[in-house]
Amino acid sequence: MGKTLFEKIWDAHIVVEKENSPSLIYIDRHLVHEVTSPQAFDGLRMNNRPVRRPDLTIATMDHNVPTNNRSLPILDQTSAVQIQTLEKNCNDFGIQLFDINSPNQGIVHVIGPQLGITLPGSTIVCGDSHTSTHGAFGALAFGIGTSEVEHVLASQTLWLEKPKPFEINVMGKRKNTHAVTAKDIILSIIKNIGTSGGNGTVIEYRGEGICDLSMEQRMTICNMSIEAGARAGIIAPDEKTFDYLRGRKYTPKNYESLVDYWRDDLKTDSDAKFEKNYTLHINHIAPQVSWGTNPGMTCDVTESIPFPEDFSKGDQNQKKGAEKALEYMALKPGTPITEIKIDRVFIGSCTNARLDDLIEASKVVKGRKLSQHVRAMVVPGSQMVKKQAEELGLDKIFTDANFEWRESGCSMCLGMNPDILSPGERCASTSNRNFEGRQGTGGRTHLVSPVMAAAAAIEGHFVDVREMDLN
Amino acid sequence: MKGNVIKYARDNIDTDVIIPGQYLKVHDYSELALHAMEGLDPDFHSKVKEGDFILSGRNFGCGSSREHAPIALSHSGIKAVLALSFARIFYRNAVDGAFLLPIEIEEDAYSNISEGDEIDIDIHTNEIKNITKNKTYKMKPFSEIIGKIIEAGGLFKYKPD
Ligand code: SF4
Repeated sequence: MGKTLFEKIWDAHIVVEKENSPSLIYIDRHLVHEVTSPQAFDGLRMNNRPVRRPDLTIATMDHNVPTNNRSLPILDQTSAVQIQTLEKNCNDFGIQLFDINSPNQGIVHVIGPQLGITLPGSTIVCGDSHTSTHGAFGALAFGIGTSEVEHVLASQTLWLEKPKPFEINVMGKRKNTHAVTAKDIILSIIKNIGTSGGNGTVIEYRGEGICDLSMEQRMTICNMSIEAGARAGIIAPDEKTFDYLRGRKYTPKNYESLVDYWRDDLKTDSDAKFEKNYTLHINHIAPQVSWGTNPGMTCDVTESIPFPEDFSKGDQNQKKGAEKALEYMALKPGTPITEIKIDRVFIGSCTNARLDDLIEASKVVKGRKLSQHVRAMVVPGSQMVKKQAEELGLDKIFTDANFEWRESGCSMCLGMNPDILSPGERCASTSNRNFEGRQGTGGRTHLVSPVMAAAAAIEGHFVDVREMDLN
Repeated sequence: MKGNVIKYARDNIDTDVIIPGQYLKVHDYSELALHAMEGLDPDFHSKVKEGDFILSGRNFGCGSSREHAPIALSHSGIKAVLALSFARIFYRNAVDGAFLLPIEIEEDAYSNISEGDEIDIDIHTNEIKNITKNKTYKMKPFSEIIGKIIEAGGLFKYKPD
């Protein structure tokens, strides 16, 4: 019987395998950031262990770096310590670090592909759940915890139970490719299969609706696989993938011969079997807006806030969850989404802060002004994205409209640095999690695409971007 | 292993409510514990006692890979979380660092056990006794490897045979 793409990569990386036990898997690339690594390095020191392959380990600082003026010292003492600790650890263990002043600094999942560190067919881990992003290149990439970070640092391997392959077919073509984005596709998928629908699986996204997407859009899809509970998301590489990686800073010297091999080998065999399947038709999907406190609580922009009993379809826990969510979000069932007023807008995060995202959002903003009662912030995913955007004059478009234009980092995606919501503030956010308090204690998050966020910033409430002229 | 139950009858308790992002800079575990569950239940810290268990619904610990989540619970005194299902990274973090036991339960235990009940968990017989209600439920056994990592006292003490 044939194998799925994920199974091929898995099999190629087995170091030790036994029946009914986890396998020891070789790790090709290990990305490290300041928040989930300090204890791992402490562990190495305590046991007198070196880093096994510093050459396969790359570090950056993204989670709690300030996004305002980089020439000023970091005011938050604990953040400063965490950042200095990463510097020291990378120094002591011989690991390449893109620090706060590096032109290559950025969110770890934005810089990996940008630098050509992410490669098809490889295994990639990082102490961060959105490592699934790199699956867009046909890599097997997943987030790990800090003990596992230490294990990979020490051995370049991991004990893993083999996940099951899950096929998600995205069929059809979007009518309006500016207004209906990759974010709307992935939010629709999570809305339908649920936040635990992908538990224990690696999702392979396939079909016309995926092939049509650019690499940056594919990253948005794979990025949120974890929000459906999956271990990882993966998309078979094609010419777009190979073109994207060609000539990047760390693209290997023998790239073309690798491409020949990838082209032949990195795809699911026609007779391979998936454990699970789901199909989404995208001909008619609408822009999505999350209304609750997990990414599965999402609806079309044309709909109204659901009644908990309709949302839960008879499941008591779901009903209670929806009631609690609406209470937290201060929303009433039956309210049209387009009547929800917002206070803040965040365009950023590893889901939606790449160049494409900023270009699309700028089309909405160009020549318009921010709504009077809204504060909006654009935080590019990396210094490189920021520079490219500035070369295109996007910074000017945003600042002319009274948006803040920031330095790169995770920023308001997780509220570790000073970029946070105040209690009760409502935010249209291009990030990936709308959990209670995610963007600051008491903050209320609505997940949307960059164009939807930009449009909400201009109008002061959600609008259906299909009704705007975006060309 | 005996203790009392703190029950959160809902699904999808995520890592951001278990320990909000702003505390991920904190390295002192006892300080981290002060903020455990703060996002969901501000009274958690005052009611939790050493040896307590948390009982909850599906997909417990979904979200971030932060090991701070099981650490904050374990340093609050929580010895095990009983849930209908777990998110994978939380599960592995809990086991790998030997912070607490993630125990998968069935619907009967979930609906029958109430807040404050005293229960006794036996991971060798895979039984949960409800001492308060005088009832017994089954827990899902750990997979072989997880059982071995738990027995070894964490991933770094585990040596495959
Ligand atoms: S942008 Fe948000 S989701 Fe992405 S790595 Fe940073 S904190 Fe995590």
